[in-house]
Amino acid sequence: MANTQREIQELLADYAGALRDGCLPTFLKSLTREEARRISESPDFWEATEVVRLMNSAGFGDNVVTPDVGLFISRVDAAIASRSKQAKASTREHSRSQVNSQ
Amino acid sequence: MDKALRNALRELTSSDAESRRRAMEPFVRSTFGIFIRHLHRYLGNEVECEDVLEDVYADIWENPDHLRAIDSEAQLLRTVYLYYMRKRLREVYRRMNRSSYLSANDMQNLIAPELGLCDLISQTELKQILHRLLGKLKARERKAMELWMAGMSNRAIANQLETTVGAVKMLEFRTVLKLRRMLKEYCEED
Repeated sequence: MANTQREIQELLADYAGALRDGCLPTFLKSLTREEARRISESPDFWEATEVVRLMNSAGFGDNVVTPDVGLFISRVDAAIASRSKQAKASTREHSRSQVNSQ
Repeated sequence: MDKALRNALRELTSSDAESRRRAMEPFVRSTFGIFIRHLHRYLGNEVECEDVLEDVYADIWENPDHLRAIDSEAQLLRTVYLYYMRKRLREVYRRMNRSSYLSANDMQNLIAPELGLCDLISQTELKQILHRLLGKLKARERKAMELWMAGMSNRAIANQLETTVGAVKMLEFRTVLKLRRMLKEYCEED
């Protein structure tokens, strides 16, 4: 992505490549002010990104499914437990402050 | 909709937080594949997809109100995307606003856009449609798209097609726009 004055077709190719390779932040950081303006003003670019996303999903979406959903479930459960604890702590804090104010 | 998913959804929308927590396991088992493939469309990175999805499920546990009266998988995916995923997707790249020249609106449209063409169709159907549409392209256009979808770089595609990288990028751009017109016609016919 060394070219700093990329045409819209080059920007789309780089966006598609970044999406495919999982490095969107690198693409976003690489944009110059002029390229960002070019993207903003190009309806073709926005229409093309829709198809690129679908192609990315059809081509590589299956690779993303982790073989161990059980491990992921335990991550979700831990996140829920943490939020539950936070909610209880804030309720206790709230009722304590109410008692103090009385 | 799958019976296990229907039951999990019923439990998930209960007012008791513990019941909702118990229902989360069958819900995640039934929906993980669908949700993570959908997220992958926008992020393209498995680690980020899992991180976002973890927050999405916790958000659903915390506030499942939007999931009442869901009748189909497509409706479920639409609801989860609009009410839970988009918010989290925006957060992923919010920090990027500081170092990118894209406006906040463009950034949002790139990372967490409105649902577009064929966005809610299943992975299997999407593959079938794309396969059919690729068959309608000219041989050179189809080859460029197939090589891209096989994971080849533009330089490698240019070598295969015996042309320049610039010409490949232009060919891909035109072909993608052509595919979009065909997809639009397909969705309107449907």
